[in-house]
Amino acid sequence: MKSYRYIGKSTPRKDALDIVTGRTKFIADLTVPNMLYGRILRSPHPHALIKSIDTAAAMRLPGVKAVLTHADVPDWRAGFPHHVGILDSKVRYVGAGVTLVAAETAEIAENALALIKVEYELLPAVYDPEEATQPNAPQLYDQFPGNVFPRDNLVFGPHTLNGVEMGDPEQGFAEADFIVEGTYAYENIPNPLPPESPAVIASWEGADNLTVWLGSQGPQVFKAAFQRRMGSINLVSYGSPVGASYGAKYASWQYALPAAALSKATGRPVKLVYDKAEHLAAFTLRLGSRIRGKVGMKKDGTVTAMAGDWLVSSGAYSECTQAMVAVGCGEAQLMLRCPNWSLKPQMVCTNRSASGQVRGFGGQELKCALIPILTLGMEQAGLDPVEFFKKHYIKPGDGFYWREGKWWVCTGMDYSQAIDRGAATFGWSEKWRGWLNSTAVSGAKRRGIGVGVHGNADAGEDVSEVYVRLEPNGAAMIHCGIAEHGTGQRSSLCKMAAEILQLPLDRVFVTPTDSLVNPIEIGPVGSRGTYAMGGAVIAAAEDAKRKLFELMAPKLKAPPEALETIDGMVYVQDKPETKLPWIKAMQFHGSVMGYGRFESDFSKPNFMMIFTEVEVDTETGKVELLKVVGATDVGQIIDPLSLTNQLNGCLGSAGIDSAIFEETVLDRQLGRIMNANMIDYKWRTFAELPEMEHAILESPFSTHQFQAIGMGEITPSPGPSAVLMAVSNAIGVRIHEYPLTPDKILTALGKTAPSERMGKQ
Amino acid sequence: MTSMPEKTTHSIITLTVNGDEHAFILGEGAHQVSPSHTLAHTLRETLGLTGTKISCDRGACGCCTVLMDGKAVLSCMLLTVECAGKQITTIEGLGDPATGAIDRLQQSFIDHTAFQCGFCTPGIIMSAKALLNQNPSPTREEVQAALAGNFCRCISHYHVLDAVLDAAQKGDPE
Amino acid sequence: MKTFTHINADSVAEAVKLLAQYQGRAKLNAGGTDLLGVLKDRILPDYPEALINIKTIPELSGVAEDEKTITIGALTILADLSAAPLIEKYCPLLKEAVDTVAAPQIRNVATIGGNLCQDTRCWYYRYPDEIGGMIQCLRKGGKTCPAVVGENQYHAIMGAKKCFAVSPSDTAVALTALDATVTLAGGSGTRTLPVEELYTPLGNVLNPDELVTAIYIPKPAPAAKQNFIKFTLRKPIDFAIVSVASLTTLEQGICTAARIVLGAVAYTPVRAREAEKFLTGKELTEETASEAAELALAGAKPLAKNAYKLEIAKTLVKRALLGQ
Repeated sequence: MKSYRYIGKSTPRKDALDIVTGRTKFIADLTVPNMLYGRILRSPHPHALIKSIDTAAAMRLPGVKAVLTHADVPDWRAGFPHHVGILDSKVRYVGAGVTLVAAETAEIAENALALIKVEYELLPAVYDPEEATQPNAPQLYDQFPGNVFPRDNLVFGPHTLNGVEMGDPEQGFAEADFIVEGTYAYENIPNPLPPESPAVIASWEGADNLTVWLGSQGPQVFKAAFQRRMGSINLVSYGSPVGASYGAKYASWQYALPAAALSKATGRPVKLVYDKAEHLAAFTLRLGSRIRGKVGMKKDGTVTAMAGDWLVSSGAYSECTQAMVAVGCGEAQLMLRCPNWSLKPQMVCTNRSASGQVRGFGGQELKCALIPILTLGMEQAGLDPVEFFKKHYIKPGDGFYWREGKWWVCTGMDYSQAIDRGAATFGWSEKWRGWLNSTAVSGAKRRGIGVGVHGNADAGEDVSEVYVRLEPNGAAMIHCGIAEHGTGQRSSLCKMAAEILQLPLDRVFVTPTDSLVNPIEIGPVGSRGTYAMGGAVIAAAEDAKRKLFELMAPKLKAPPEALETIDGMVYVQDKPETKLPWIKAMQFHGSVMGYGRFESDFSKPNFMMIFTEVEVDTETGKVELLKVVGATDVGQIIDPLSLTNQLNGCLGSAGIDSAIFEETVLDRQLGRIMNANMIDYKWRTFAELPEMEHAILESPFSTHQFQAIGMGEITPSPGPSAVLMAVSNAIGVRIHEYPLTPDKILTALGKTAPSERMGKQ
Repeated sequence: MTSMPEKTTHSIITLTVNGDEHAFILGEGAHQVSPSHTLAHTLRETLGLTGTKISCDRGACGCCTVLMDGKAVLSCMLLTVECAGKQITTIEGLGDPATGAIDRLQQSFIDHTAFQCGFCTPGIIMSAKALLNQNPSPTREEVQAALAGNFCRCISHYHVLDAVLDAAQKGDPE
Repeated sequence: MKTFTHINADSVAEAVKLLAQYQGRAKLNAGGTDLLGVLKDRILPDYPEALINIKTIPELSGVAEDEKTITIGALTILADLSAAPLIEKYCPLLKEAVDTVAAPQIRNVATIGGNLCQDTRCWYYRYPDEIGGMIQCLRKGGKTCPAVVGENQYHAIMGAKKCFAVSPSDTAVALTALDATVTLAGGSGTRTLPVEELYTPLGNVLNPDELVTAIYIPKPAPAAKQNFIKFTLRKPIDFAIVSVASLTTLEQGICTAARIVLGAVAYTPVRAREAEKFLTGKELTEETASEAAELALAGAKPLAKNAYKLEIAKTLVKRALLGQ
């Protein structure tokens, strides 16, 4: 392995001191002079027409500066296709915005909400995606008959993937030794629940100047997506440290647009910070996913055909459901080498708060239902799932259709070694006792093991542009519009630039996430930070270095190729005494600007396998997660501690625990989310941590000069289906839905009469 | 309406935050402390000490943890008016104000990258600080129990445990 | 949070007087860890005009003993109660129950009196006003309990007729097993009643001008085995799905006295009297414990989604009795 000064070594996060001293300023910590506070009156009804809104009493409350209804707000539209306004004359879920208020204090704004009188005409509501597609179901949108979102929405261009159709499934099933069928659902719609709730400050000035301070994983994407839709305004977007996102706050229009509308109406900056109930009940959740599927298999585990109907429920709108379905369909092929496919998604709207982006991005939701169907075949063939996954995960030379509909041939890595290492670390072969067999029994407690797999080709998605500016005093500034959302990516980019420029790490900086000084940046999503953004940073740093050497060459009387730089000095190679500081090339008032650009490359899928061991108390139905082992190959570790943080993250953010206790509980009489608080919404605590270990390989990857690939986005995604497998093996009974709460376990064991879990979905 | 009690036992309250004594006028005016203000609100909005974070605002997540007379408490579930006379320590109050040196525990969080997004970190550090003040050499299980009320959605738990145990091992209690 | 008048009470008499003056329009505040959530979410039909802080009343906290009784002041903070040597010595099951409450930061301010008097956690009752308005359920004077046909996985499995909310207090379960009494002070003097009788289907027996001042626990027989088990999805933070407290005295393997109490199954902690009677005079074995568990849940009538609680409750009774 190559040895580096920073790459692969643990270095303190650049923002560490600010974080541990409380100096990090998240959006809620900021104030802007003359700022007002925004609040949103939310619908009590899951489906209703607004007949009238009386805002007079609220407007009379001293301190109230604006009360806006659907009739007053600009017609800025979001979602795919663009169908969601800031407010609408129709509400489609409990918690939908009805009226916006801006006031001098947060308390006045809150008190004003109680003074607004709204008359509704109630409409019947529908919650189950299958019911929603029935002929007589209530219709959420005139333009989406049958409550089905158009599949031909071309979010990734003219050939956007909207299913997996390949080969000849009929022929494939005919060639199979056996066929298994089943229906599995991952419909507990967990909330990724970053600790910082959605927050923004918007300031509208003059006719068409909007500045937003935005708590978002993609603050520049808001600008890119909306400034045209808002009337080609001048939009300046300041990102900020993000109190985590996990994908959820990549889309920020749900809070940014109302604040912008209020600011436009009042002529003053408006701060809008959701509280936790709004975050849990009126922001976005995971997709609901249900697959009725069929697998044709040979006795040796070769899959001859895979077919299924994938019912995707998106709630009240499609934030970008078509995009998640496209990526999920691509990822299904990475997991399963199979020549004949017919996987047909149907995307449905229902009367609950909407689904949106979460790490795993369609693929986790799909795998949670698809992998259990595959396991029916593995069980029938008596196959070890680790061997099955190893055989079927994509290898170099294999092809797949990716999200934009193009056929890609894998030029990445064979992850078999990582799988073997993971299995050995976990002790898989010692523990595996075959399907529906527990690994150990002690009294009422039964243990089981399970494994899941996931991978994404988005690690090289989209364009990134970066400038690296060398400063005469021997420092470098990376111009990149990336917001830090917890992965340490801003620090990792500094490490890459510092490595190339051989600068002390504390002499390398990233600009603030400010659209005035940075190119538009898609941001750290889909694990693209390491390869895509890193690729642009590396290219820009190399470009800057080359320009520096060109300036310096005449002064050092050596060709540029013969120069090298360390700690702000340029040397002639092998002549350490012949050196000059950077300032000699740039002069004190100059600088050197390097430019780097990364172009999309979907040919290098990343990989994650999760092994789990659970213990089920068969008398109480409680599932305890005992052990988790993650296995991956990252090519080259950039920062070991940041990497293990990401891997440990597999438990949270609607990941593994969404198989154990995380769920959003929807009352279908009222359409209300009952657990919109952090006591009833369950999350992993310090008191109960499974043993956690990772098998991380570093096989040089054909990406950029550091030979690394990112994988932070995908760490939770193999987890839920692994837990489902482990629990089924522990108790000897298959369960078909998540999470595996005591009621489901006891019902599966025949100890409790099945209770109709109609609150789920 | 019946006649309301005449009693007004307090119109000015004082509390000590990070060693500084602050007097607040109680009332509903723009720069006054309302009886309904929580300690978290007063710290953040009145004193500008935004290191104390608010996440759930209902006593479940621990992001707003501060020390009150040395014990870890949730500032979102305390009324400022009821903290009169108390000694409050926030994340800004750790370390040595004279030298600007950070607390050993904070340094250990840096050394272990014991955070990801960092939003919950101040609350976690304050809970850990309260533990170490009381129990300078905790076991791993004791650290887990002491942090049982602190949310961390990124799952930095494992690094946090390492950081707290390492800090405990490294020094004498201050 | 919407504002209110705030008054520090200096004595029990003053608190009682203030309560009387406000005629139900004031709330007592001790630790505040329950009340502040109630106020922030605006779940009550009538927002209180005043908060009466009782933390300023001296001498209402602390643990003391005399020959036969342990006395706990109502303002005793849970963390202090857990650390009290008298509690550890005489009532380990109370300590166990206290240690399961919420999280350390809450236990550093929450009081035993507040834990007994906290409002139910029923998520219909607690539904936040800001997300479409609070729910006017039966407990708030409405006509129906939405849990009956709704998401009732955490609701009552016994004793409920109209409101299916359960008592969330862990300490009430422990104190009922310990045969504890509470003293209430009010305008018409003080009264003392068993903890078991503190709760009513829609709340508790406190008159609008009453407050809990002290808890008395008769010292249990030293030989009595005490157990408290709380079943939750997660160890910290969660309120009980089911809890069980038991106190059994064995003489040469024969059970001579038993108290078994179920928590979170009804609006009040429920004594399993039939099971207690059954066990008395019998050898405590896996079989008799299981039979006692069946008897303890004999009257249960689960709703559509909470039958699993019955199974868990039986398991907990059995395990508590056997000390598992």
